[in-house]
Amino acid sequence: MKTYKELPSDAGSNIIGQVEAQANRVQKRLASVKHTVAIMSGKGGVGKSSLTANLATALTLQGNTVGVVDADINGPTLAKMMGVRNATLEYTPAGVKPAITALGTKLISMDLLLAEDDAPVIWNAHTQKDAFTWRSAMEVGALREFIGDTEWGTLDYLLLDLPPGTDRLPNVAELIPDLGGVVVVTIPSEVSQFIVKKSVTMARDVLKVPIIGVVENMAFYVCQHCGEKEPLFSSDETLDTAFQQDLLGSVPFDPKLARSSDDGTLYLHEYPDAPASKVLMAVAEKVQAFFQSL
Amino acid sequence: MKFLCTDCDTAMKFKDVTRPEQGSVTALFECPDCFTEIAMFLNPSETQMLKSLDLKLGGNNEAAQPMQMVRSQLETGKSEAMPNEFSPGMSTGETAEGGKCPFTSAISDAFQEEPEPAEPSGPVWTVEALERLERIPAFVRPMAKMGIESFAKDNGHDEITAEVMDAARGNFPAQF
Repeated sequence: MKTYKELPSDAGSNIIGQVEAQANRVQKRLASVKHTVAIMSGKGGVGKSSLTANLATALTLQGNTVGVVDADINGPTLAKMMGVRNATLEYTPAGVKPAITALGTKLISMDLLLAEDDAPVIWNAHTQKDAFTWRSAMEVGALREFIGDTEWGTLDYLLLDLPPGTDRLPNVAELIPDLGGVVVVTIPSEVSQFIVKKSVTMARDVLKVPIIGVVENMAFYVCQHCGEKEPLFSSDETLDTAFQQDLLGSVPFDPKLARSSDDGTLYLHEYPDAPASKVLMAVAEKVQAFFQSL
Repeated sequence: MKFLCTDCDTAMKFKDVTRPEQGSVTALFECPDCFTEIAMFLNPSETQMLKSLDLKLGGNNEAAQPMQMVRSQLETGKSEAMPNEFSPGMSTGETAEGGKCPFTSAISDAFQEEPEPAEPSGPVWTVEALERLERIPAFVRPMAKMGIESFAKDNGHDEITAEVMDAARGNFPAQF
């Protein structure tokens, strides 16, 4: 009796061919993208999305063409932060035209496809029971389509804002084998750094993805009256030595930055002289320098 | 997956697939030598996994539409985001060289599972109950409707009234 390997095909479904075609769609789209950058942390609530929005804006202001993928399928915030929540996606034979910010940054986000503000992502299924068995596959499929089916055009940078969790980067690395690098975001707290280190190990040692650098977010607070710097967290909580070596910048906490995110106005454009803006612009310059040095 | 006709020692070929019935799909395979047929039943979880991976049983000869998986499978998506505006010639470029089976379109359809049509013998909604149903947030409405109809059937109600909805309310976490 013949064995599995002796049978010529899978009875006509060509599952491998279908999977390859999906991967080819992504590769074909990324052919016109110079650099792909994942913004990750592993820890939630450290400001990844805020940093992504501002890094994208900074790179745009510095003369680059920039696209952003909101890879947080279940908690998409970038459309609001970047002021394009009301954008209507346009579907063309070449792909889906992304939302475009006032400065020209392109964005795709699940938020742009949801029917209502309070609607969560619910996938069509015979039953939602045991959804844990297939939900992740749907989410990776959605991310694949966001990257591969968005009409990005020619981009200097495509940023991907990852949701929390050390398991997220492997999904992206699978979809983008030539991922250019990752920007790691942490806050000064020990708890954050404890988790973020796991993500760094995953990126550097397991996936062999280059670490562009670390951004210390909410690093300190600048008094609006006297201009003095005050730590936002305990002064004992300093940045780990390993992180300091790769530090791209320490972004101060600024209530105006939080307000800009809520309002969907572009902070860097509105407050170019604010201390946080200067750090963010410097971070963007270092990201560019990283790729120029390769 | 591969299938072997043990009598002929020949690889079986994909022949047909049914539309999903309660989430389950049946695929038929045939031996090209002796024409023996076998049926493979996918349980709802297996069917859902194939849908989630955007893979088609029997191959996929059709050009992929932009974001077709998200737009066809997102229950809570905008209606204008659904891919019903495409003409057949629209494509993102790449297609899989799938099987040459003439039933491929049927298979593709099979995994774009439509909500099952309501049984004609099911309970009838009163106008008042329908108005109340409309007040339930859109993204949970289909599930609530299905649950109320199921409650009505199980409890012998031919008509869904506000009172039946009140009685069914205890079975759901959401208020309506």
